[in-house]
Amino acid sequence: MSQTAVIHEHKAVPQPKQHGKPGGFLAQANIFTGLIGGVVTAGVTYFIGDKLVPWGTQNADFSQVGLNALVFCTFVAWVIGFMAGIGAFAGPIRWALGHDLTHDDAEYMAGKGQGRMKYWKYTTDHKVVGIQYLVMALVLFGFGGFFAMLIRTELGATWREVFDPNFYNSLIGTHGIVMIIAMIIVVAGPLGNFIMPLMIGARDMAFPRLNALSFWLLFAAVPPLVLNLVLGGMRDGWTAYQPLGTQAPIGMIGYQVCIITFAFSTGIAGVNLITTIVTMRARGMTWARTPIFIIGTLAAAIMGLVWFPMFQYAQLLAASDKVIGTSFYIPQNGGSVWLYENLFWLLGHPEVYVIIVPATAGIMELMVVFLRKPLFSYKMAIVGFAGVVGISAVVWVHHMYMTGFAPQAGYPFMLSTELISIPFGFLVLVMLGTMWRGKAWNRLPMMIVYAVIFDKIIGGITGVYLSDVPVDQYMHGSMFVVAHFHYMLMGAGLFGAMAVIIYWFPKMTGRMFDERIGKIGFWTAFLAFQVTFLSMFVAGLQGMPRRVLQFDNAFEISNWISTIGAYFIGIGMLIFLYALITSWRNGKVAPSNPWGSKTLEWQTQTPVPLENFPVLPVVTSDPYGYGVPDPYLKVEEQLDKDDNETVGAR
Amino acid sequence: MSIETPVDQPEPPTNRPDPTHRMKEWFSRDYVRKIIAIFIVLTIIIIPIAWLVIHFLELSGGPASSIMEELETTIFVFTLVSAPLMAITAAVLVYSLFGWGSIKSEEPPMQENPAIRTNAVAVIGWTVATSLLAAFLVIWGMVELATITADSYGSTPASQQPNATKPIDVNVTGQQWVWTFEYPDQERIQSDVLVVPINTPIYFNVTSKDVIHSFWVVEMGVKIDANPGAVTNTGFTANKLGTFNIRCAELCGLHHAYMETNVQVVTQDQFDSWVREQGGKRTV
Ligand SMILES: [Cu+2]
Repeated sequence: MSQTAVIHEHKAVPQPKQHGKPGGFLAQANIFTGLIGGVVTAGVTYFIGDKLVPWGTQNADFSQVGLNALVFCTFVAWVIGFMAGIGAFAGPIRWALGHDLTHDDAEYMAGKGQGRMKYWKYTTDHKVVGIQYLVMALVLFGFGGFFAMLIRTELGATWREVFDPNFYNSLIGTHGIVMIIAMIIVVAGPLGNFIMPLMIGARDMAFPRLNALSFWLLFAAVPPLVLNLVLGGMRDGWTAYQPLGTQAPIGMIGYQVCIITFAFSTGIAGVNLITTIVTMRARGMTWARTPIFIIGTLAAAIMGLVWFPMFQYAQLLAASDKVIGTSFYIPQNGGSVWLYENLFWLLGHPEVYVIIVPATAGIMELMVVFLRKPLFSYKMAIVGFAGVVGISAVVWVHHMYMTGFAPQAGYPFMLSTELISIPFGFLVLVMLGTMWRGKAWNRLPMMIVYAVIFDKIIGGITGVYLSDVPVDQYMHGSMFVVAHFHYMLMGAGLFGAMAVIIYWFPKMTGRMFDERIGKIGFWTAFLAFQVTFLSMFVAGLQGMPRRVLQFDNAFEISNWISTIGAYFIGIGMLIFLYALITSWRNGKVAPSNPWGSKTLEWQTQTPVPLENFPVLPVVTSDPYGYGVPDPYLKVEEQLDKDDNETVGAR
Repeated sequence: MSIETPVDQPEPPTNRPDPTHRMKEWFSRDYVRKIIAIFIVLTIIIIPIAWLVIHFLELSGGPASSIMEELETTIFVFTLVSAPLMAITAAVLVYSLFGWGSIKSEEPPMQENPAIRTNAVAVIGWTVATSLLAAFLVIWGMVELATITADSYGSTPASQQPNATKPIDVNVTGQQWVWTFEYPDQERIQSDVLVVPINTPIYFNVTSKDVIHSFWVVEMGVKIDANPGAVTNTGFTANKLGTFNIRCAELCGLHHAYMETNVQVVTQDQFDSWVREQGGKRTV
């Protein structure tokens, strides 16, 4: 407590002058002014565009460029108007006018003295943003899950078309992209924002205002996407391959604006997470003492930051084809459909790891706590995550083995795809080693970990088939692929996220999660999940293509089973959601460290005060100092060992 | 120079058990033996999955080409080699759940478990095992890819094929939502059903009139995208008479689900008469 404190106490430092009430415009702005701003701006834009500008030029190929341009501008106006209405531009405008934010302004923006209202505002406190992300993810899972039920209803009713093909095709695409967005944010959003700064002993994120910006951009991105269902649909899978997307109705533009906006949100969040983790760890928290969840979040943020722009540009060019009549992807005019596929999968594959990696790292964090053991081979986990990040850059073509764009590419990309299984194998060993000879504390998060590893085994063995070009020649585009990636994204990713969320639930909400009801919900969903997707593997093997709404009689039985299973997943998830909501509202009040965990976030009080720690912690060891010395080792061998590297018997 | 050990240097520890003894001790532990037993049982359970997978693959009447046969072999071999790794993972999982026991309590348990930070043998052994597995999968996959590329004539035009049987070219065009097959050497006859003679190499030039489709001849194990503005190639030699499925495997718009047809594998005589019926003649 030396220099910094002295400077703080120095009375002569001039503070910026307070203009009006703390918060300025932000004191008035909230989600409702945002919605009003968005709708009004969109409406005005539509009116001006429709009445005053000569639209209606016909594209040479498919669609009305004029109408598309009008809809595109309207959606963009919605995003800008919403962000203006909620106060996203208040800070920059004040700086431009030379009005610095005062300390009171900053505290107001962090949500001081606003009660519940702060969750509906442009609040900078990382804990508020974390809760906002969590609720947003739950809402998106609600949408996505509902769409999934509709899809399964169509596929279960084998004797008729329940929906018209345009709506059905829009449904599968919307289900896909909503779930992908939800999965990307569900761990890195709530926990990367709420828990991560606590875990590294920081007072907030590095850029609190960017944190609010990233969340509200995500919020603004969702309505254009979901609205596509009433604007003629997007008619394309979540991959939105071109030129099918160029043919699609104006709903497609909702998808494109959503992705372009969401990519900004992800990029901003990525910068924020990376900067915070790299620069704001507590004194003494060297890299080797940094909890593995932080490393996993860092890895995911790096991949998101580097690869999301690919997805954004893919959609920007696609929108430009629709809106100003370019032909990046229109072969008749010299474009290339393969350009789109490459740009898309350059993100499309790393995105799977953006989803899996934080969930996996979170699981490792809680295994340690529930097994009362140190993490097995921290170094191997680091190498594993680093390997995944590195190799993830060069595997995208395995989604394009059958496109024919480069028949010889099968060889190098089969190599890279098999190689990435080695760092993933490291992560598996870390988990197995952590389990080794541990008596597990039998709580729901730990039970879900077992379920997740089981799903990873099935996802792993089916992934081994798919990584192989010759086998993929059969499997590609079939229901087998759909079942496989649901095992990875839902079985490992979503279930893992559920484990991680209920582990940190007491810190985030101040309440204990009701495991009795949660357990019923989870195991219902888990068992139904196995029924649904094991059966879907069978349909795929029999040759059922994906994204169809009618099919051969041969696939009937497996689809009936899948549909019944899917309904039970829905029931299980609703029970789990019920447990979550009731626990949140009136669960048992949580102590500050209910799990007896050693990481920093559990060492501060619950509910977490505004600036997290009364005094910033100083770290002197890694957080994995659990366990007794291995009884199988002789005493003299124990003494040989370095304190930090207690090597156990095998 | 003397190489004598200085007298004051401590003796190297002699009570350290030698590696074989340590290994014996390890394998004699109760939990190690049980995990090995579970591992063996699980491996034996996992391997038959290969047959199950192949059984489902063959339900619709395949395999009807050497490509599909090789693909089934690959599935079998891959299941076989990855089964041990899956089984050891599952074995530790099962033993962790039921073997080492669990603690039921509301409060954080006081009892702590062995502080195993790392273990050189496990780390090195696991790395070597997974790397060998990955290497095997890559090498097998590449050899297999070369084989099926040769089987489907890869990028070599039919006219340059050294085979005894003269291959037949077929131009495949996908359009929303039908497949059209054109036989350029049979006076350009066109058909919406693919008819091919058995044991004759068929060579496809695949393209699309509108959006991306994917030409999937299910029981032949052949698939290639039909792209607008480009021609892609594949091929097969059918070795089984009968009617098999052709489906579109890439979402191509409203009626993607209905974009399917058949391939009829017939004898050479039947093929010749079919060509004549269609108004073409067999040009040998
Ligand atoms: Cu098609």
